[in-house]
Amino acid sequence: MDSHSVPLVFYAIALIAIIIFVFNMKKFLVIRKGKEAPLDVKWWELLTNALTFGVAQKKVYRKRFSYASIMHTFIAWGFLELLFATTVDFFQARGWLTAYLPELDTPWFAFVNDFGGVALGIGLIMALIRRHGDKPEALPQDAWSGRGILLGDTGILVLLLLLVCGGFFAESARLAMENPESAMWSWAGFALAKILPESLWIAAEPYLWWFHAITALIFIAWLPNTKIFHAIAVIANVAVTNRAKRNQIPAMHVSQLMEDPDLDPDTISLGVSSSSELTWKQLLNSISCTECARCTMVCPAYATDKPLSPMKIIGDIRNDIVNGTKNGGLVGGTITETELWSCTTCGACMEECPVLINHVPMITDFRRFLVLSEGKPPTQASQHLENIMNTGNPWGMSNRTKWATDADIELPLMATKKEADVLYWVGCAGAFDSRNQQVARSMVKIFEAASVDYAVLGDEEMCTGDSARRLGEEYLFETMALQNIETLNKYKFKKIVTACPHCLHTLKNEYGDFDGNYEVVHHTQFIQDLIANNKINMNPNESKQLTYHDPCYLGRYNGEYDAPREVLQSLLGSSENMIEMKNHKSESFCCGAGGGNMWHEVEDGSRINLKRFDEAVETGAQGVVTSCSFCTIMMDDAMKVRGKEEDFSVQDLAELVADNLS
Amino acid sequence: MNIGVLIKQVPSSESPVPLHDSETWIQEDGVNWEMNDSDSYALEEALLIKEKQGGGDVVVITLGPEARSLKTIREALAKGADRAIHLVDDVPGLSDPYLIASAIAHACKEESLDLVLSGLQSGDLASGQVGILVGEILGMTTSSLVMETDFSDNSIRVKRELEGGWYQWVTLPLPAAINVQSGLNHPRYASLKGIMSAKRKEIKTIPVADALNNTEALQSMSTLSVPIAEKRTEMIEGDTDQIVSKLIDVMKTKAKVL
Repeated sequence: MDSHSVPLVFYAIALIAIIIFVFNMKKFLVIRKGKEAPLDVKWWELLTNALTFGVAQKKVYRKRFSYASIMHTFIAWGFLELLFATTVDFFQARGWLTAYLPELDTPWFAFVNDFGGVALGIGLIMALIRRHGDKPEALPQDAWSGRGILLGDTGILVLLLLLVCGGFFAESARLAMENPESAMWSWAGFALAKILPESLWIAAEPYLWWFHAITALIFIAWLPNTKIFHAIAVIANVAVTNRAKRNQIPAMHVSQLMEDPDLDPDTISLGVSSSSELTWKQLLNSISCTECARCTMVCPAYATDKPLSPMKIIGDIRNDIVNGTKNGGLVGGTITETELWSCTTCGACMEECPVLINHVPMITDFRRFLVLSEGKPPTQASQHLENIMNTGNPWGMSNRTKWATDADIELPLMATKKEADVLYWVGCAGAFDSRNQQVARSMVKIFEAASVDYAVLGDEEMCTGDSARRLGEEYLFETMALQNIETLNKYKFKKIVTACPHCLHTLKNEYGDFDGNYEVVHHTQFIQDLIANNKINMNPNESKQLTYHDPCYLGRYNGEYDAPREVLQSLLGSSENMIEMKNHKSESFCCGAGGGNMWHEVEDGSRINLKRFDEAVETGAQGVVTSCSFCTIMMDDAMKVRGKEEDFSVQDLAELVADNLS
Repeated sequence: MNIGVLIKQVPSSESPVPLHDSETWIQEDGVNWEMNDSDSYALEEALLIKEKQGGGDVVVITLGPEARSLKTIREALAKGADRAIHLVDDVPGLSDPYLIASAIAHACKEESLDLVLSGLQSGDLASGQVGILVGEILGMTTSSLVMETDFSDNSIRVKRELEGGWYQWVTLPLPAAINVQSGLNHPRYASLKGIMSAKRKEIKTIPVADALNNTEALQSMSTLSVPIAEKRTEMIEGDTDQIVSKLIDVMKTKAKVL
């Protein structure tokens, strides 16, 4: 169509559509209802995030979601191409920059544009098949209405499909009418045009053009109310996301809060119970959610039939802030307490989220409300929290060095040495849990074999507060953190070695908020270092095949996947003896004990540790090696439940190393 | 409608309890003190009754030295008790239940309590008498080993545990003193909001000597000793039938697991 032939009335309608679009974009403004939060990304990060994770959809492409990845690629890139083509067409119609822009019938442009349309069409059909053919259970089940989204999942696909088909019909009619020389380069439209007689196309042309124009304008006008809104919101969301701090839980600084003389306990709000108490960033998270359900599909609680779907939580927040709070409120109402307590904080949801939503910190905020404001931790967990408060460890036991004295080990104590190269953080499990005491003894054996100058805190060591913090008990966490920091600051050491990734994470990444800054390494990293520097030697055991279970707080939370594997491989003599589970490294499946779930059990569904243990057995290996106190307990327990003690082993990497020292 | 709850601080079950040189009490330094477990059930029951009744005060009453008592009082206030009475006893080791009950009863007199709840027994001396004695001194109706309560305006119906899995329902006119069995509810967790509010709640202190007013003790601690741990193995001999019947007998009479 030539520039002069676009009727003015079209521009008038288009203007109305754009006004409606802008009006509907007010949805964005709901984030202003959120609390303040610092914008802690540099401008260039903002830009690169927007381009890579936004426009280029970097995290959409995942092997484990191959169908959805291909589908989205077709839709998104087809859509972007057509958006570009339409913009160029608009410029041509207005006669702007025509010298620099191709025309619709420029051969390469015609070819590419049809390609865009076909790609979008294929993608949309793939999406419809996914919604109505082989539909993953985790996806929203209400296809047409959606959860507070106009047209739902299916409606918007049908509208887009009408847009694509209408576009091709309009193109075919135009080709039939104008019959340009390069018509065949518009390969799809050209082929379609051959199906019907030319006269029919010419007669239908104005109707087809208007049909396409009107569907396009309806789409633009309503876009912010449909699922496609994510295409805009996500750019903003990923841009402002500080990727290095995604899994960090912000400190509440409760002790400072309690010193405030004006503080009124009756009116103060602790934790988050309503959507408006979330930060603007968290609300932006919620309106960016596309409901792709990847978070839910990888959630260990969901996979074991517990009442948690991370996607539902995000959707509930969005509905609450956009459409208003339902009776019963958000936390404890729309989002039940059991949903919140089912979360193991394993971080699989955040790892998979293509639009960088941070589910776990929000769940923790809700838990903080339940515990700090309501005093309602899970019933079973409350005893362990009180134990931490009263005795400094969740087991409620005393004498932190008995594990050593019982085995005639003379532990060097920081209280007497004052200074050491390595401060070995035994952890409560290492001190009190009989299974993990073996790990602690193995560590001593390794330290001694490598002549490491080490010392422990003994009875001065307190729980790091990991479980307390994950359970929302920030006050208890902070009490433990401040006490431990005071103790640690009394002594001189180069680094802290911990056997438990939960201790590692809190000491390394969370104590900094309270001015406790230390070099902290995990025992697998420390052992790898000893091997690399020939400080210890091992006799490889080539007769055994083992698999390795990645603890969430070592892998996903601290990015360490290689050190334990390298140590294990050198123990097994060859990489062939190390068999990977289907879910490994960043796709590892939680043992079920994280997030404070070590201390209580959600009754619904089956047990997470059994599912993970079965995955380990399925590899055909003769044992599973892990490197986390909680994982060891959970796997050991599962082994007993499955009756596999005779032909399967559960070991911490340190035990294996200590047993094979030469 | 005011409810008094008697709470005591006892060494935690994992805490070391070295003997004092006098051999009539323990050395308190380094002992980890906590709220007596069964008292936490009494406190929870009081809070539940108050919530159901929708009014009145829950007043916790404790007797003991300043530091460790305050920790327990604050915990109870944080969990939802409205006020506290602290009978300050600066000479620790007051062990005669009658003396303790007399001091507590004295403190309760002005409070016009409709109900006094206490835990079954303390984790340290386990006499199980104080709560009932307080009721008797104050002229209240009393009941022990309560597994369930049903409160109405002028009376309280309680389910008492009897031996051998039997129980009975008893209705007590108010005021009443009740001593509750552990496990009849789930003691709540102290919220941070509660901890913050606890700081503003009233704690009335009364020196024990004033409350006792020269009351004489009825019993005194003569010696305290650490139990000697020993293992004894008894071999049961005979043919299978004899072994089985002897074993059942042991399980019934000695181990009391059947």
